[in-house]
Amino acid sequence: MAASGIYVYGIVSSSHPLPPAARGVGEPPAEIRLLPAGELAVVVSATHPGLRARRRDLMAHQGLLLALAESGPVLPMRFGVVAPDEATVLRDVAARQSEHTGVLERLDARVEMNVKIMPVQDNLAALIREDPVVRRVREETRRNPGYEANVRLGEAVAAGLRRRAAVVAARLPAEFTEVADEMRPGPEVEGCVLNVSFLVPRRNEARFRAVAEQFAADHLDRLELRLSGPLPCYSFVGPESAPAKV
Amino acid sequence: MSAYSEEVVRVPRAGSLYDVLELILDRGMVIDIFVRISLVGIEILKIDARIVVASVDTYLRFAEACNRLDLEYDSSSRTVPELFGGGVAKSVGKAGAKKAVHSVGDTVKKAVGMGDGDDETQEEEQPEERPRKAKPRSRSTESGRTRSHKEER
Repeated sequence: MAASGIYVYGIVSSSHPLPPAARGVGEPPAEIRLLPAGELAVVVSATHPGLRARRRDLMAHQGLLLALAESGPVLPMRFGVVAPDEATVLRDVAARQSEHTGVLERLDARVEMNVKIMPVQDNLAALIREDPVVRRVREETRRNPGYEANVRLGEAVAAGLRRRAAVVAARLPAEFTEVADEMRPGPEVEGCVLNVSFLVPRRNEARFRAVAEQFAADHLDRLELRLSGPLPCYSFVGPESAPAKV
Repeated sequence: MSAYSEEVVRVPRAGSLYDVLELILDRGMVIDIFVRISLVGIEILKIDARIVVASVDTYLRFAEACNRLDLEYDSSSRTVPELFGGGVAKSVGKAGAKKAVHSVGDTVKKAVGMGDGDDETQEEEQPEERPRKAKPRSRSTESGRTRSHKEER
């Protein structure tokens, strides 16, 4: 396929080795190269015009970043960053070298762990018992049943489940004070009442997991917790950072 | 209670690709002068997910589950505590809710290209990949790391 730019995966230190058999986006998977840039190196591959955010390529992007992270800190790019040519990449990275170096130091031996909390939808009886709004709408629906009434009831139930989960979810960040270095809210995700990422020292990963599991177990009746990680540190690449201590 | 401990094991589970999609696409570093590729499929995904989550179908399922709680009350119990405490009632609500959750997941999988309902632009541009996608969720192209995530689920 005709070359149409350079796909940029991330930035590492100049001594960082490439993982064996590293492959990138595309079909067949593109060969990965390191572009040396002073104390840093940029992880790149060729790309093609048809590149889209497809499952396979998203996986390739993330898989490579995780493999790289095995041998040292990685500054991960967002999926889909394509530069017109090598010179452009190198110029840009050189201009921000000290900034990037600082971020790499901050990310060293750390991983991102993401926690999402969703309302559980299997405890309707408790909801009806405890939520006056839902109870009122339900009584109205029983008096005047029908399609419209059912939609209103369902809507009230969905909102009620969300409220129940959100109240408890707000207490989650404090639980991780001991095990995480930094915290940053994730983008809003439909259906989640909380989406938050933590920067966690690798040595604390098991403890982090245990805390999350305990929290989930303590609040089974109100929420479902989804833990993702270790991830490339997508949420902690900002240089300004020094985000609120957990 | 066995149902209880089963849920403890189930939660939390390791995230799937979908669980971190917004991080891969909205976080991570960007460099202004660099071009970001077109994310047609992802826009579709976000819209679909919203429709399903807040859809009338979901609401009707919730309402139905509530109404079944009423049936439980009318047929087998006259006391308020039994209405609210019944294990049967709980599992009914659960079934309805699971359905709602799964329909979100399915839509998302389609949009990301895990199912057949892929976005058309992709298929026009890369028709040679059609057979691969027709296979039930081919995992052969995934990295080892990704696979280990799957196993944890």
